[in-house]
Amino acid sequence: MSNYVLPILIVALFVFAIIKKVNTYSVFVSGATKSLTLIADIFAYILTIFIALELFTASGLSVYFCKALSPIFSVLGIPTELTELIIVKPFSGSGGLALLTDVYQKYGADSYISRCASVIFGSSETVFYVATVYFSKTKIKKLGFAIPVAMLCLIFSVIISCLICRFI
Amino acid sequence: MFFIINIIMNLIFNTIVIVGLIIMLFIKPDLCMSTILSAGGKTVNLCISLLGIYAVWLGLLEILEASGLNKIVAKLLRPIIKFVFGEQNPKASEQIAINISSNMLGLGNASTPSGIKAIQFMDDGSGRINQGQTMLMIINSMSIQLIPTTIIGLRIANGSLNSSNIILPILIVSILSTTLAIVLVKLAFKFLKRKK
Repeated sequence: MSNYVLPILIVALFVFAIIKKVNTYSVFVSGATKSLTLIADIFAYILTIFIALELFTASGLSVYFCKALSPIFSVLGIPTELTELIIVKPFSGSGGLALLTDVYQKYGADSYISRCASVIFGSSETVFYVATVYFSKTKIKKLGFAIPVAMLCLIFSVIISCLICRFI
Repeated sequence: MFFIINIIMNLIFNTIVIVGLIIMLFIKPDLCMSTILSAGGKTVNLCISLLGIYAVWLGLLEILEASGLNKIVAKLLRPIIKFVFGEQNPKASEQIAINISSNMLGLGNASTPSGIKAIQFMDDGSGRINQGQTMLMIINSMSIQLIPTTIIGLRIANGSLNSSNIILPILIVSILSTTLAIVLVKLAFKFLKRKK
């Protein structure tokens, strides 16, 4: 069923755009061109996360780290394989992407762990980035309880992500 | 705030590089350099698959924007926004609508400018954060995304046979966590008012 959703939406989009007299061909090209600058912007951020990740696993640090966290994580029903992703995602979106693909490659894209990782990644944003950029043009320095509430909701979304992937 | 993220990422990076390399020098010194360099190769691989995914979706999203479909979605969202954010000035509520609808449609680059403007229009100049601003920030942090384009693309690139079966779980989780966020913010501000 879900395989039909996107193709149908794309057809609908094109039909709508043609009715609205949009030159879809040239608009598509100008949008697709932007992907080059986007990748150029995030390339080095992804590199730093991969260096850290490779060293973290190769040195065996990740084993200790996961062991330390596993009692908490197992109570909450979160696989410890996702520790790095859960910690980095709120700070760095591109870092999160690097860790997400690492999970796909290690465990296979259709495994339970990978689906959990996808749902965790997809259902939250980089909280600290949003907090930084959105308030950049105001005098507001203290965000009150905005950050704690956001973190609480984030933990909640991680827990139900792992729960829901067991059933769907 | 930007400063703080920088400090935290800097701290993570420094600690792992130094501690990781020192441990590796003791247990497997021959693998130190190949480990670091393999990160470069992995980055290139990921960036090439991302480039392919982004090119296709940014092209489609540009059509979506040019056809004005995002404005229609923003209009449909207005009553919900009025309920969640309460009475806001028209300029602010317009930007909130654009921000949330572009988030839902995965138009990341359109959601940031409108988010900044919405926060500015809601600002009362007191230097203190108000309910509307807190709400917008937290709803953005939870992001309801209707079509998680990047994730689907990456799953296909990594050999997934049913790449879109995460659309529904992501939708359910983000709706639940956004609802929780809205309730918590409303409760917290009620509590603050009573305290005063």
